[in-house]
Amino acid sequence: MKKEDAISIGKINHKPRKISKNQRNFIISTVSVITFLVIWELVSYYKVINPLFISSPLSIVEAAATLFVDPAYWNHIGVSAYEFTFGFLLALMIGIPIGIFAGWNQIFNAVINPFVSALYVTPKVALLPIIIIAFGIGITSKIVVVFLMAFFPIVMSAQKAMSTLDQNLIKAARSFTATEFQIFRTIALPSTVPFLLNGIRLGLGQGLIAIVVGEMYASTAGIGYHLTHAGQNLKTAEMFVGVAVIAISGVLLTGIIGLIEKRFSSWKPE
Amino acid sequence: MAESAVQTNPKLRSQFLDVTYVNNKTGHEVVALKNINLTIEEGEFICIVGPSGCGKTTFLNTVIGFIKPSNGSILLDNKKIEGPGRDRSMVFQSPSLLPWRNVLENVMYGVELQKRATPEIKKLAVDYIEMVGLKGFEKHYPHELSGGMQQRVNLARALTVDPSLLLLDEPFSALDAQTREFMQQELLRIWSETKKTSIFITHQIDEAVYLADRVFVFGARPGHLVDDIKIEIDRPRDLKIKRDPHFLKYVDHIWGLIENESSKQGFDS
Ligand SMILES: Nc1ncnc2c1ncn2[C@@H]1O[C@H](COP(=O)(O)OP(=O)(O)OP(=O)(O)O)[C@@H](O)[C@H]1O
Ligand SMILES: [Mg+2]
Repeated sequence: MKKEDAISIGKINHKPRKISKNQRNFIISTVSVITFLVIWELVSYYKVINPLFISSPLSIVEAAATLFVDPAYWNHIGVSAYEFTFGFLLALMIGIPIGIFAGWNQIFNAVINPFVSALYVTPKVALLPIIIIAFGIGITSKIVVVFLMAFFPIVMSAQKAMSTLDQNLIKAARSFTATEFQIFRTIALPSTVPFLLNGIRLGLGQGLIAIVVGEMYASTAGIGYHLTHAGQNLKTAEMFVGVAVIAISGVLLTGIIGLIEKRFSSWKPE
Repeated sequence: MAESAVQTNPKLRSQFLDVTYVNNKTGHEVVALKNINLTIEEGEFICIVGPSGCGKTTFLNTVIGFIKPSNGSILLDNKKIEGPGRDRSMVFQSPSLLPWRNVLENVMYGVELQKRATPEIKKLAVDYIEMVGLKGFEKHYPHELSGGMQQRVNLARALTVDPSLLLLDEPFSALDAQTREFMQQELLRIWSETKKTSIFITHQIDEAVYLADRVFVFGARPGHLVDDIKIEIDRPRDLKIKRDPHFLKYVDHIWGLIENESSKQGFDS
């Protein structure tokens, strides 16, 4: 509907060309991936590199076929998914309000900023030993690690978004006798959305790292746990299945964020 | 002058107004306005002209209530201006539309903030959008509009809150010559229908003379009132008037004043 309006003000012929451009890029990407897989398969088949290290696409598919009919593997996936979801939602629910409030209120910002800035650059996995001692080797410690890793990018992005508000808009709102809360709701919040989604995207990547590292370090179940054991027992193909599961989850979750972004920024220039 | 100020009941009165900016880092002070004394009557159309940096925007910002005078005061309807109010609205020099709202939502923004957004007001907003020549663009977003169209949305937004004092800071500066003249006519038409007291800043002297009942000429260093010129040209004014010798005499006179001020100012800033 909106797109059609846009075309009517003089962007005729723009849309069809764009689609073909997208199609072209999609084809190029597909070819690129297939080429990579074929080279990988050949390198492995002719033992240019020892297949023990790099496995091969076909044996990974084979391993996946057996793993995905095994309920035990689904249990690992379930455990990891649970840890990630719980930790990540916690990071969102606590991180967004704190970041927004810190960006809005200078005093609160002064209180928390030293901690946020310091912890943002600290590799949170360095805290793993202590987290495991405090929360055990079960699910809880992983939730804590995911939370810690995802929390800081989210807080920082919300904070930053609030501090880069367009003063011209605030002036206009004030001239219409807007209250602080109205400015917050009608200018500050909508301005944060793109920044926030960026922070959430960063937090997502960090959270996925947290899952794998946390489970590698000490755990009894989960994709990271399975992957580590597969690696140690030289089941390289199974290990790659784990890597693929995590990578695909990451791509899917990022895709969901992309959709949310589209929904919230339909006003934006393309 | 002092006598008439006592007799009449002006809409706006600026008394001994000084505005000084203080840089909070260096403590350096800039006197932007010095001893501004003027009165504006109900329903008058005032234009302010003057060299860049002479304090025109500062004056409007003081009237809208953003800036506290460092000395003197401004009275609106005999009440001292202490902050923004519903009786005033402003068309800003810089673009100030919310990028995530379409034209109609932007035009409604002012009344929405004042909790007066009713279906009737919405109809009024649509009327003003049509009046500023943007019919059919209600659903468009600011980035889909030209700079001049955005300024017209700003104008519609300021009109929709139905102020008793309308402040316009170079609202037509991004328009091409034809659209500008069209908008000047439209603005005069809207003004003659609503009789809103208006203060309009411009750099184009012929625009000022065409629109105004009185033109205030400001000078710089510090910003002060140089002259207050009554434009005695009958209304309604046709665009053809701009080629009238009588009209051109006003333009020449104001040109002379500003040139004089600019030469005093030099280019040492
Ligand atoms: N926020 C501010 N802080 C400090 N000085 C300022 C500020 N705003 C304006 N000034 C100074 O006050 C003087 C008047 O500025 P103002 O913006 O009112 O001029 P103007 O007449 O509107 O100019 P223009 O025609 O270019 O828009 C200038 O010397 C400017 O440098
Ligand atoms: Mg200005």
